[in-house]
Amino acid sequence: MIADAVYLDYAASTPVDERVAELMLECRSSVYANPSSNHVAGRRSRDMIERAGMQVGALLNSDPKTLVWTSGATESDNLAIAGAARYRAPRGRHLVTMPTEHKAVTDVFRMLEKQGFEVTWLEPDTDGQLGPEILEAAIRPDTQLASIMFVNNETGVIQDIEAIGTVCRDNDVLFHVDAAQAVGKVPIDLATLPVDLMSLTGHKFYGPKGIGALYIADRPACHIEPLFFGGGQQRRIRPGTLPTDLIAGLGLAAEVAAGRMHDDFTHLVALREAFWNRIRGLDGLIVNGSPDSGFPGILNVSAPNIEGESLLLSLEPLCVATGSACNSQIQEPSYVLRALGRSDLEAQSSIRFSFGRDTTAEEVEYAAQHYLEAVSRLSELAPGASA
Amino acid sequence: MSSDPYSAQIRALFADLSHAGDLDNAICSEIDDQGVHIRLAATCRGGCLQALRFRAWGCPHVLAACEAVCREYEGRPASDLEEFRATRIMEILSIPLEKTGRILVIEDTVRSLGRSMCDGSVPPVS
Repeated sequence: MIADAVYLDYAASTPVDERVAELMLECRSSVYANPSSNHVAGRRSRDMIERAGMQVGALLNSDPKTLVWTSGATESDNLAIAGAARYRAPRGRHLVTMPTEHKAVTDVFRMLEKQGFEVTWLEPDTDGQLGPEILEAAIRPDTQLASIMFVNNETGVIQDIEAIGTVCRDNDVLFHVDAAQAVGKVPIDLATLPVDLMSLTGHKFYGPKGIGALYIADRPACHIEPLFFGGGQQRRIRPGTLPTDLIAGLGLAAEVAAGRMHDDFTHLVALREAFWNRIRGLDGLIVNGSPDSGFPGILNVSAPNIEGESLLLSLEPLCVATGSACNSQIQEPSYVLRALGRSDLEAQSSIRFSFGRDTTAEEVEYAAQHYLEAVSRLSELAPGASA
Repeated sequence: MSSDPYSAQIRALFADLSHAGDLDNAICSEIDDQGVHIRLAATCRGGCLQALRFRAWGCPHVLAACEAVCREYEGRPASDLEEFRATRIMEILSIPLEKTGRILVIEDTVRSLGRSMCDGSVPPVS
């Protein structure tokens, strides 16, 4: 039985795990004190937050003290990039990133460019990958920070974080990773990965929205300037009263994810394979990323000569993401896909299918069939199509 | 207030594009501009539009508007096509203002078809 909405947009957000929701509700009614307060109720809130820190720390194999709670990945990215760039500015003002990063990263770099920093934008290869040798060649004596995402939110491309991080370490360049799409989904061992700063958010792995964290490695080099001021919380790096219920929810979501990561991953591999095998025969179909590698929860495809907005409407009740913003007079094809060498037309006809824990094989079959029918219908409508 | 970018009329028309296709021995008008590509075909008998069909590459508003045009003008005098106004169909179908450029392409296509049918300057296209 197919519901009136088939949700295949897990890369945008995930439903909150039931256990997480229950804990948060309980927290809101019984653990409401300010965690900075030094009375018994405050200590109870503080204990909840410390527990969440241990749960996230266990997921990432990192010390809970390396975590700074934020409102989500966007804030974490801003804090990491702007904070690190400004702190290290006396040593140099050269920064490195890629045009395929999330806006939460690229817009911070653009802001820093206006403030006198110089940014090198490294182009990916046609599969979206960054070779470590490309990064190494871009590093200069005044380079202070590199920011490369773990899993691309549009294409699912996974970067070689270990190799890229090693280049950064060897050259004394701070390395930030936007891991919003990776945490809770792929194994991350921060005890061994050469990562200095890493952003995560709860709602991408079945936790609540409005809460995230920034990992700051316990190394002398890893200092950043705060973005906010107004209190002594979190070592003054990110002051403000901590939301106990959201943090507790994030912590439990991390624990749940750690316990079922292998099963979730296997489930996603099977779903993507089934979906890909159903649509791969479509003439001219372009895969943005790779159908065989990358994060299996995301498959991004462009249909040939299809108008993206009409395709998206034809795909209802599928809840998917498109590579264009067609609600304005000027269509804006995805800048990520354009950076991969896609034409405007290919980019704006792209659809990102993203699967999750609750996606069923029946839904994937339905989605694939629906996609094939929608593409066929729109192809036949176009001038020049055979009658 | 609805967050749906499409009116009920647009959704209904888009779901039932029964006038999509071609016609034998028809007079055609075709324009590719503003990110849309439209071809209108019509047959005429006794000065009246016997049948209208369209092919289009464009957003849902464009496809729905093309369907609406075909439904509205079948059976009417061919000369009526020259009176077609984009603003009117935008109002009827609640098409947002930012789509005006695309709907004007429909206006150009419809009026061009009307002129061709009235002066008979364009040979039939099968």
